[in-house]
Amino acid sequence: MGRKLLTGMLLAVLCPFFYLQAFRGVSENARPKTHMVQIVRMQFIPAVLSVNKGDSVVFLNKDLVNHNATERTAGKWQSPTLRPGDSWRMVVTSSADYYCTFHPGMKGKLEVARATAKTRKKK
Amino acid sequence: MKRSKTIIARATGLLLCVLISGFTVLAQHTGQQGNTQKQGTQKQGKSKSTQQKSAHQNMKLTDPEIASVAVVANQIDIDHARLAQEKTQNTEVLNFAQTMITDHQAVIDQATALVKKLNVTPKENQLSRKLQTDSENSMKMLRAKSGSAFDQAYIDHEVTYHKAVISTVENTLIPNAKNAELKALLQNILPSLRAHLEHAQMLKTQYAKE
Repeated sequence: MGRKLLTGMLLAVLCPFFYLQAFRGVSENARPKTHMVQIVRMQFIPAVLSVNKGDSVVFLNKDLVNHNATERTAGKWQSPTLRPGDSWRMVVTSSADYYCTFHPGMKGKLEVARATAKTRKKK
Repeated sequence: MKRSKTIIARATGLLLCVLISGFTVLAQHTGQQGNTQKQGTQKQGKSKSTQQKSAHQNMKLTDPEIASVAVVANQIDIDHARLAQEKTQNTEVLNFAQTMITDHQAVIDQATALVKKLNVTPKENQLSRKLQTDSENSMKMLRAKSGSAFDQAYIDHEVTYHKAVISTVENTLIPNAKNAELKALLQNILPSLRAHLEHAQMLKTQYAKE
């Protein structure tokens, strides 16, 4: 009897907590975020960035020389020339491999996470 | 009977002693040989790399002299790139040359701003003079070429030149630099020099395939 009561109480406390956590997850996924890619010592950092569709990415040049970020396969998008200290923001709509046309060895990747059932429903 | 047993036991003991000491001596000898061979290989390896490095490392340069070498080395690559812009029709070579001009000018600007801040006047020296003499020779060689022969010679020069400059910065300029900001600037230049080398090597590989 006592054990049943204890289990019931425990469930009563934990259920709303898990419900709220799940709801918070959905709302966080739905809200676009801003991510940062720094250009330092001829590298995009982080070189691979996971984002959600609709998130923004800011490229910030903290290097000594000019750079850009250019979509690799079809040149779908390209930043303007980023001088030292310059930054550029873009909204991510799909996964992309990108590079710097001035320094072709500099490469990066944006990976768009697949939308979950919950986030699709929300949208 | 008892006496013969004692003799056998003593003989066995003696034999064992001889065998053990024999193995010990043999093992020590083999070990020494191995060590000697290893040391020999290491010495040979060391002596080669030491010879290569000592030419750079023995060169003593002051901060004003390092500043001069840094500016001259960057200016030389800009001069070569300007010549490439005059002579080439190849878009990739043109783009590469433009990057060399922009990047090396950015480094010169940083170096100039730093020497101004530190109140240092770049001082010409043996190394900066040698770089200039070599540059005059390579410019002369490149001026005599045209078309794809020029493109290949220019890219070959860029590969060789960037390798030499990276070695000079790593083995001579950075170890000699006294001022921390000058040393940091030299260290920050290295990644861009390596990226230029990688870019030039990529173009060189493309030419080799064509």
